[in-house]
Amino acid sequence: MALDPKVPGGPLAEKWDRHRFESKLVNPANRRKYTIIIVGTGLAGASAASSLGELGYNVLSFCIQDSPRRAHSIAAQGGINAAKNYQNDGDSIQRLFYDTVKGGDYRSREANVYRLAQVSVNIIDQCVAQGVPFAREYGGLLDNRSFGGAQVSRTFYARGQTGQQLLLGAYQSMMRQVAKGTVVAFPNREMLDLVVINGQARGIVCRNLITGEIERYAAHAVLLCTGGYGTAYYLSTNALNSNVTAAWRAHKRGAFFGNPCYTQIHPTCIPVSGPHQSKLTLMSESLRNDGRVWVPKNPGDKRSPEQIPESQRDYYLERRYPTFGNLVPRDVASRNAKGVCDEGRGVGESGLAVYLDLSDAINRLGVEVIKGRYGNLFDMYAKITGEDPYKVPMRIYPAIHYTMGGLWVDYNLMSTIPGLHVLGEANFSDHGANRLGASALMQGLADGYFVIPYTVTAYLGGTTLPAVTTDHDAFKEAEAAVQQRIDRLLAVGGGKTPRQLHRELGAVLWDDVGMARNDAGLRRALARIPQIREEFWKNVSVPGPKNNLNKNLEYAGRVADHLEFAELLTLDALHRTESCGGHFREESQTPDGEALRKDDEFGYVAAWEFQGVGKAPALHKEPLTFENVKLTQRSYK
Amino acid sequence: MSTFRRVFSSSVGTKLLIGLTGLAMFVYLILHLIGNALIFAGPDTFNHYSHALISNPLIIPIETGLLLIFLLHVYKTIVNYFSNQSARPTGYAEKKFAGHTSRKSVASSTMIFSGLVLLLFVVIHVKQFKYGAWYLTTTAPSVRDLARLEFEVFRQPLWVAFYALCTIVVGLHLRHGIASGFQSIGFDHPVYTRRLTVTGVVLAIIIGGGLAFIPVWVYFTQ
Amino acid sequence: MRINLKIWRQSGPDKPGRFVEYTAPDVSPDMSFLEMLDVINEELIVKGEDPIAFDSDCREGICGTCGFLVSGVPHGPEPGTTVCQLHMRHFKDGDRLTLEPWRAKAFPVIKDLVVDRSAFDRIIQAGGYTSVNVGGAQDANAILIPGTLAEKAMDSAACIGCGACVAACKNASAALFTSAKISHLALLPQGQIERRARAIAMVERHDDEGFGSCSNEGECEAVCPKEIPITNIARMNREYFRAMLISRD
Repeated sequence: MALDPKVPGGPLAEKWDRHRFESKLVNPANRRKYTIIIVGTGLAGASAASSLGELGYNVLSFCIQDSPRRAHSIAAQGGINAAKNYQNDGDSIQRLFYDTVKGGDYRSREANVYRLAQVSVNIIDQCVAQGVPFAREYGGLLDNRSFGGAQVSRTFYARGQTGQQLLLGAYQSMMRQVAKGTVVAFPNREMLDLVVINGQARGIVCRNLITGEIERYAAHAVLLCTGGYGTAYYLSTNALNSNVTAAWRAHKRGAFFGNPCYTQIHPTCIPVSGPHQSKLTLMSESLRNDGRVWVPKNPGDKRSPEQIPESQRDYYLERRYPTFGNLVPRDVASRNAKGVCDEGRGVGESGLAVYLDLSDAINRLGVEVIKGRYGNLFDMYAKITGEDPYKVPMRIYPAIHYTMGGLWVDYNLMSTIPGLHVLGEANFSDHGANRLGASALMQGLADGYFVIPYTVTAYLGGTTLPAVTTDHDAFKEAEAAVQQRIDRLLAVGGGKTPRQLHRELGAVLWDDVGMARNDAGLRRALARIPQIREEFWKNVSVPGPKNNLNKNLEYAGRVADHLEFAELLTLDALHRTESCGGHFREESQTPDGEALRKDDEFGYVAAWEFQGVGKAPALHKEPLTFENVKLTQRSYK
Repeated sequence: MSTFRRVFSSSVGTKLLIGLTGLAMFVYLILHLIGNALIFAGPDTFNHYSHALISNPLIIPIETGLLLIFLLHVYKTIVNYFSNQSARPTGYAEKKFAGHTSRKSVASSTMIFSGLVLLLFVVIHVKQFKYGAWYLTTTAPSVRDLARLEFEVFRQPLWVAFYALCTIVVGLHLRHGIASGFQSIGFDHPVYTRRLTVTGVVLAIIIGGGLAFIPVWVYFTQ
Repeated sequence: MRINLKIWRQSGPDKPGRFVEYTAPDVSPDMSFLEMLDVINEELIVKGEDPIAFDSDCREGICGTCGFLVSGVPHGPEPGTTVCQLHMRHFKDGDRLTLEPWRAKAFPVIKDLVVDRSAFDRIIQAGGYTSVNVGGAQDANAILIPGTLAEKAMDSAACIGCGACVAACKNASAALFTSAKISHLALLPQGQIERRARAIAMVERHDDEGFGSCSNEGECEAVCPKEIPITNIARMNREYFRAMLISRD
């Protein structure tokens, strides 16, 4: 099957306008006759639900949380990018586009990224109109900060709670549509299968997490806005309930998975404190604007930080990257942190941490200013570690944070299953091999507010969709399969908890498919993952009822899917023998240890087609062509 | 439901009424305390003040208004108490004061009970004084000798104790009531709210203590 | 250290519940409270018993999913902290703690420590938004909002909707939650057009859901993980009176 990204013709800057003009429309009076299922209520899902509801479609919105407002977008701290150029510092749509393509290490689709940069300006307008309380200057204009490697200040923020405020804005808009009756919200539902009829996505089967009932819902199109798969690594900054299940089940029904090996490790997380650790907490990398990263010069130096004199400190990012210093992209910062810890210069009890020191900024700007900028982050750090970051430098270490890979989609955000659209982190499209800070929020809202209303309309208006009810055999078959899987989980009755097995999987992925990957390690992981999967199905323990709230049963199902998915992730990492962005292959690096891309060999999107559990998936390639940017090897020296 | 009824039956409207009527009675109490304190200036001054009050033609509408405010306060708080109780049909096995910035106090947790004590007290107090023995002064012009009645009552230790206790309950009720009333009617200010809360407590002590002092003073000096 | 726990177990919404005693024998001070429960649950699962159901998601104090009473105080003894961010270093060896779900008519228990908070969504549906469709917004900088005002609105907007305010209130009132949203939008120019209708609709929905009224004790503020002050409630009251008594529509 040839992958057609359906990128419209014409000059880059005109593609989206041209595409919108050429796309089919649906008459306002006819829209309520179309039902659209949206799975997930994060920034992408909630914004899609509200904007499609506003258009008059009949929207069914599902989420696994007890309220749409709790989706994990809420935890994003730092900000949202937009090419507003409010600071008069040289920003433009072209520059945001360029930075994003370059930041993604030339592994994203040009046309998608340009559209993202174009609509970024509308996002801010929309959010402000909703009442999102972005930070303002004294005189009333919006404030911006520079973020994660950008040379311009284009990041809008609401304290350290930008994701929360943007999500609440989208959630409130969605609630408005719920009150109007255009959107029906189904919280506490987990999508467990996609129903494909005549090759078109026509519905979902989900489990009501409160009653345990398996429910069927039919629609004319299905939108997956279910986030990334970072929890495959067990410890990540993702929420505990984040999972790959919806995307994986869609993949098993025929949606190709794009670039699963592109995972992002965030450099500024609070280090692991012990084996009980259930998740990791991110500290916004905006801290790197005012913070300096360092470790002792001498390996094994276990003195407390204030006892280490300036001359014996190694500000290794400033030393190695004089231009960008502490603001190098996430992957570079993460790998360097791992590097110095591998040299035995890590700090803290575990030796798996580096210092992020804001004392210079505190001395320069005063405690009050720092408190204003990072107060809530400092509080969070103090709460978790019991240390006062105003006095002692913070300890940070990288952790899995975001996944650039996801279900493959074309320019219309439609997967290889007609009618199945994938938005936000769940798709693969805009960030290439590495996502820039403050761009995830931008993409989620761009997809939901400004892209999908046009592209799903074009699909509905231009496609013959025969009437389908939930009595269709495909629904019955899907429900039976879901039920059987649940019964199977409950029947194992083994001696290990899903969490133990998940932790084992996570350790394999972190060690061998983590920040730096090599052939031997990846092959080791490929051998190990099926073993854990086998043990899971023989030895997992899932007690408790199925017709009731059973969080362990939910969790077991997600771990089971991670155990299938992890193999694909590893396989993709093994096949891509170049380094790019978040994917660093030790075999492919420059003499001074930087990531070395192989554009001729790997300038494509790897889209994998499911062939059966434990069977090798089929690889399809979407070549990436760059007509508007010149490919350079990234350098942040 | 009409807008008017709706506004005063909602949770917020109910609290507005309770707050407004409560604050009105608080103002009345200040005047009452000042009036009562005239006893320190001697029985004649006190009696003439009392005569001036009851002979004023406005006294009937004012007293009616006061009664209505009082009854509204009682009615609304009792109804509100039961509706609040029904908002938590199953109680906690263990519940503690949260501390930190909370203003919860013994006073705030017992408003309905202190209120019921005060309801009883007001009935007894009004019957005993307003509708009590009508002595006349011997000096001209002859007016009601309320001071004599007061001295008679407060010569009895049980009555002194009863009044002292009940007026301390008044103080307790006010301790939460003053600041709470202002909050209910929507008063908030970054600086004054804090001062008001403190002032409210001070006034509660002054009013409760002042009212309690009078019977004790009478008992020991007259 | 060793922690003794008395935890409310209830198998379903209309089932009777009871307290069951558990012991966490080997608690590290760096554990969060929920990680301690994870450990207890792991043991229960291995033994084939139904683990203790409690809600949690982000585990960094922002999603508002977690919450129960720790010995009579919602989210436990540390101010400004959700229970997922409450670390065991604040407890001592041998402590006896009682864990109980939020209790309110409007928050029926679903299972063990999990309650149904959908009433909050319905309060927002009543008016906790600005009615702006996607597509028509003016340039973001066309609306000037003083920095201090934006900060003030942010103070109210920081609510995470966890329900601790209701749990702490002796009247099970959701006044703090409702007022935080009314305040956030009433403070900003974008919220002015629907200001009156919003205040009325949200307060009435609050009442219809079965929440009680505010007694101005401030227990809600004291347990709020985001320390949202009850001055919001005073503002809600003002907004409501103004809407009801002065509004012409």
